[in-house]
Amino acid sequence: MAISTSDIILLAHAGFGVTGCLAAVWVFVEALNAQPANARRMRTAALVTALSMAGAWICGGYWYVHFYPLEKTLILRGPWPFAHNLFMETKEHLFFITAILAFLLPVAAREKVYANAAARKLVLSVAALIAITGLAVEGAGAVIEHGAKVALLRGGSIGAQQ
Amino acid sequence: MNSATAPASGKLTAATSGFVLAAAVTVLFNTALAWAKDAYAPLNGLMQSLTGHHWTTHGLADLVLFAGLGFILTNTRMAQRIDPNRLIGALIGAVAAAALGLALWFAFV
Repeated sequence: MAISTSDIILLAHAGFGVTGCLAAVWVFVEALNAQPANARRMRTAALVTALSMAGAWICGGYWYVHFYPLEKTLILRGPWPFAHNLFMETKEHLFFITAILAFLLPVAAREKVYANAAARKLVLSVAALIAITGLAVEGAGAVIEHGAKVALLRGGSIGAQQ
Repeated sequence: MNSATAPASGKLTAATSGFVLAAAVTVLFNTALAWAKDAYAPLNGLMQSLTGHHWTTHGLADLVLFAGLGFILTNTRMAQRIDPNRLIGALIGAVAAAALGLALWFAFV
């Protein structure tokens, strides 16, 4: 078994992203049932969301800058160039929106959500936006990886025919 | 909170209002910067030269704008004068427009 640093960083990036999305859903559920008793738990979940997205940013950013150029070349030469031209280009910028929302969430969760309808609406909205954009980013990641996979498979099949 | 017992409205603190508005501005700026550096190569090159990669510079610019604008709007209490529902609507609209703007740009331009 040969797991490279690149593999670990990439999987950590995806893992942090999924954790951030799940934590945002956790905040959403806590806000739906907002009471003084769960206020602290909701703030903790909001912090987990922000920290997870920060982890996804650091790991994803390091991988993108140091390891992606090779994969990009592969994808662009393969049958799915749109995996980079559309999905990666959109994902790498859409992620910033998810991250900014994740950093906003702990600020919004400091409000007395259980006693303030506007604060509750804000927390619900921000948490939902994080989950939606975060899942879109995760889905784009899957398309990008498949773009690399089909490029390798096609290259492999051409090599086998020769 | 049970919606039947929830107050009909509420105000947000200066910090929350400020950072919500800062987030709305930042997500729109993020998309505008993505368009600009994609359309104008010298800008992409400049961003590349600042940190070694245009994406790193882009992210740092977003963070600085969000934090800086958030603190300014918190201290000036400007965003707190805006109705919270309009502020939330502006944030949702900004995120939808910015996300759609990115996808359409890279799909068709």
